[in-house]
Amino acid sequence: MTDGVIYDRGYRPYDGPRRGRRGARRAVVKDGVRRILGLRRKARRKVLPWSLIAVALVAAAVFVGLHFAAGSIAAALAQGLPRYGELFDFYSRIALLFIAVTGPELLAPDRTRGVLSVYFSRPLTVDDYLASKAAAYLLVAGAIYVVPQAVLHLGLAFLSDDGFFAYLGANLDVLWKVPVVAVAYLAIHGAVVGVLAAHMRRPGMAAAAFLGVVVAGGGIAAELATSNLPGARWLALLAVDDHPRILRDWIFGIDTQTFAAERVGFEPWVSVVAVAAVAGIGAVWVRWRYRRLA
Amino acid sequence: MADHVIVVDGLTHRYGSVTALADLTLGVPPGVTGLVGANGAGKTTLLRILLGLVHPTAGRVSVLGHDVAADPLAVRARVGYMPETDCLPADQTAADFVAYTAELAGLPPREARRRSSETLYLVGLEEERFRHLGDFSTGMRQRVKLAQAIVHDPALVLLDEPASGLDPEGRDQMLALIRRLGGFGIDVVVSSHVLTDIEQTCDWVVMLDAGHLVRSGPLTGAERSRTVTVEILGDAGAVARALQARGIPVAVDGSTLAVGPGDDDLFDAVCDAAADTGAGILRMGRGVTSLEDEFIARAGNPPR
Repeated sequence: MTDGVIYDRGYRPYDGPRRGRRGARRAVVKDGVRRILGLRRKARRKVLPWSLIAVALVAAAVFVGLHFAAGSIAAALAQGLPRYGELFDFYSRIALLFIAVTGPELLAPDRTRGVLSVYFSRPLTVDDYLASKAAAYLLVAGAIYVVPQAVLHLGLAFLSDDGFFAYLGANLDVLWKVPVVAVAYLAIHGAVVGVLAAHMRRPGMAAAAFLGVVVAGGGIAAELATSNLPGARWLALLAVDDHPRILRDWIFGIDTQTFAAERVGFEPWVSVVAVAAVAGIGAVWVRWRYRRLA
Repeated sequence: MADHVIVVDGLTHRYGSVTALADLTLGVPPGVTGLVGANGAGKTTLLRILLGLVHPTAGRVSVLGHDVAADPLAVRARVGYMPETDCLPADQTAADFVAYTAELAGLPPREARRRSSETLYLVGLEEERFRHLGDFSTGMRQRVKLAQAIVHDPALVLLDEPASGLDPEGRDQMLALIRRLGGFGIDVVVSSHVLTDIEQTCDWVVMLDAGHLVRSGPLTGAERSRTVTVEILGDAGAVARALQARGIPVAVDGSTLAVGPGDDDLFDAVCDAAADTGAGILRMGRGVTSLEDEFIARAGNPPR
């Protein structure tokens, strides 16, 4: 038997680099991505986000497969298979559920658990914190829109009779149209879920309220907009989920359906203003709320 | 005040019509400092002002040589803070959370993880560091809160009621940890309304009462024995008034008087005052918890 010695490791001072606000912002983005995806959390926190991601990826593969099965892009179009613009209808529903599930988790627990008092004792401002959370949201939720579109884009390029690179060159406009429409969806949904998550204690309640405002509230507003109530047409603007879709139709030059705002005579640019207004009001509201909490 | 860690000059803060801090001027030297006061005395408000999280109504505050109003982020980069309230996410492991707070202080991720492990070892949570915080006991949670406050090697830590909610054994362990911080070269400000904790831990004390500075000075053995506790049979108020007429500070708590601070002639003064007012003396002696006596003498009531 040998004699053992127990050493107290004590405390070691740190004299390495300190990255200040930049490092703090990066840490919040990384933690936000992990929180959205349930990484380094218990298994049950991973189930819903990863299930929806799996549905999105499988659906992307199916859409590409359908185009391949059609034999050519022209044949696929003739069969009414969805392309870039139409695909947003499907993926916006997936993203809506994804944002309902993960959006409140991104903000509410830090507030309700009192963790903000620790975060804001570090070299991190409220604006840093919120901007970094928004970046994490845009990164992950944005991927739900962009990745399947990228898969479709590359699939169609392979299928094209003109050749892979000729197709990509002839469809460069997709590279800005898809991100712009995705940002419109993300901005309007993010603003609504952000305001709700900044006030409600339970993420589940915030998720239900989000779906209620966007889906049910939007549907009711759209119906009332065409009623005989005085000033009813303005209610069409409260159908927030219609605005990115109107913008999508406008940008891609397609006509998927006639939305309430269009039925009562609003031009597409009004929806652009509505998206910007909802996003702006949401950002100011959440910032005001968190400056009071800090 | 050139060598002071904290310098406060004419600090006033109001919440609407309520004055939380009233014209405080003090300096806190290096070492372990106790911030003493009853609930609502303004301790937490002062700590939040030191971090730049609350902007004072008037006055100037300097921490580690930085003007807090001008450069709060520079202060927060070198200060650790342990809030009194619950501040831990239930769904993260202790190691992840402490590493995350280290990254928030600007440490690179790899260093943050290494220091997270070291710091959790230091506070006695080596074995539990990969458990989720939602499964931790109150004592373990307090240790994690302390770990996140020191993980980034701050020059100064502000601890708000660190022993709150702990059982006697846990309290002793927490106080021992706080004492060790001073040995690591970290200056500490520990707020508490439990004066015995401050007596055990600190070498400087700042007393607040209803936002007013009662005392800021060293905690020395000589000062610890300068008050006299007297239990009066009869009109304690009359005895107190008689002592005050002689210029001696007195605090009244029912039939008990905290007299002083002062020298041994306090005993004679108390006897004279009792004789003058016709009161009897049931018990008289030096205070056992002298800091509490001093607080009573200066502020009127013990901190609760």
